[in-house]
Amino acid sequence: MINRLIQKLFGKQAGEESKDIAKKRLKLALVCDKLEVSEDILKKLQTDIVAVISRYFEIDKTEFNIDIQRTDDLASLVLNTPILRTRTNY
Amino acid sequence: MDGKVIVVTSGKGGVGKTTATASVGAALAQTGKRVVVVDMDIGLRNLDVVMGLENRIVFNIVDAVNGKCKSRQAAIKDRKIDNLFLIPASQNDNKNAITPEKMVEFVKELKKEFDFVFMDCPAGIEQGFENAVAAADEALVICTPEVSAVRDADRVIGLLYSKSITPKLIVNRIVPEMVERGDMLSHTDVLDVLSIDLLGLIPMDENVVVATNTGTPIIFNNQSKAGNAFKRIGLRLDGHPDLPIEVPSTKSSLWKKIVQKFAVKK
Ligand SMILES: Nc1ncnc2c1ncn2[C@@H]1O[C@H](COP(=O)(O)OP(=O)(O)O)[C@@H](O)[C@H]1O
Ligand SMILES: [Mg+2]
Repeated sequence: MINRLIQKLFGKQAGEESKDIAKKRLKLALVCDKLEVSEDILKKLQTDIVAVISRYFEIDKTEFNIDIQRTDDLASLVLNTPILRTRTNY
Repeated sequence: MDGKVIVVTSGKGGVGKTTATASVGAALAQTGKRVVVVDMDIGLRNLDVVMGLENRIVFNIVDAVNGKCKSRQAAIKDRKIDNLFLIPASQNDNKNAITPEKMVEFVKELKKEFDFVFMDCPAGIEQGFENAVAAADEALVICTPEVSAVRDADRVIGLLYSKSITPKLIVNRIVPEMVERGDMLSHTDVLDVLSIDLLGLIPMDENVVVATNTGTPIIFNNQSKAGNAFKRIGLRLDGHPDLPIEVPSTKSSLWKKIVQKFAVKK
């Protein structure tokens, strides 16, 4: 735990632990459950969206994140990506 | 004044619903509240053995709901805690022996006599779940830090919201060593994924198995981390909603306590 804290303090990326994999799988499973689509379709959607955004911005694809957020009576699909820089050559 | 009716549910089986119902019920009864715990797992009753009351069963929930006996006759008094009662499930009926409408009527009567009515839900989201939830004002969702349990919890939380119940979460069977080395989802990971408020965190604790062997409430064992965590949940449910949630940890070194202070904030 202290190691991880130090890694975090110094901005080092901690190696992927099994719970990180669990969390990723869980998130994806929940999005699929809610949209009632297969994981396959969701991954394709993600690939397509990343491709479109990448035409205009340079993004960190490893940090790209697709999620469902729920408010009282409505679920929304939320995409999150760090933008590294704008492409000047489009 | 009417009592609170709380359903304990999870979706997935074996995550600790029955243990939590018995323990939180006992904790509240020990502080002087009048508590009845109702086993809604018709056909697979368990709460009676966990509480050590299996030899005293005469009537059951199906009898009581269908008017074959008075609710007082079906409520078995606990051996050790005066204000604690159990209404056992029936072992031979099927789940259709009760309907949500009848359950609502029955619980209305119970509410008049008890400060807290806890309903221990069967696994799944079918008839038994519907029967219990129909009569509930509040819900406790139990999950363990595993992908399957959290996913099922999410499903149940969605169903509860659709019935206008805002549930609270208990994460059970936490193994701090595993969380600390990154091999088990932490409670913050679980809360990141689920849209729900946290009520309590229960560590994996061998004492739970020992207490279940003998049918004694785990809250009687002051050395038990799980027992103490259940007591804190009782307090949070009854008059002390701001009691801090303790995060299970391996050792309570000062350093870890400091780290936790930052980790618990939410
Ligand atoms: N915190 C805990 N530590 C150790 N064992 C536990 C804990 N909580 C539950 N158990 C054990 O896990 C098993 C399943 O618990 P139970 O309460 O029957 O789950 P459910 O009612 O959700 O099916 C039981 O054998 C119980 O003793
Ligand atoms: Mg059970």
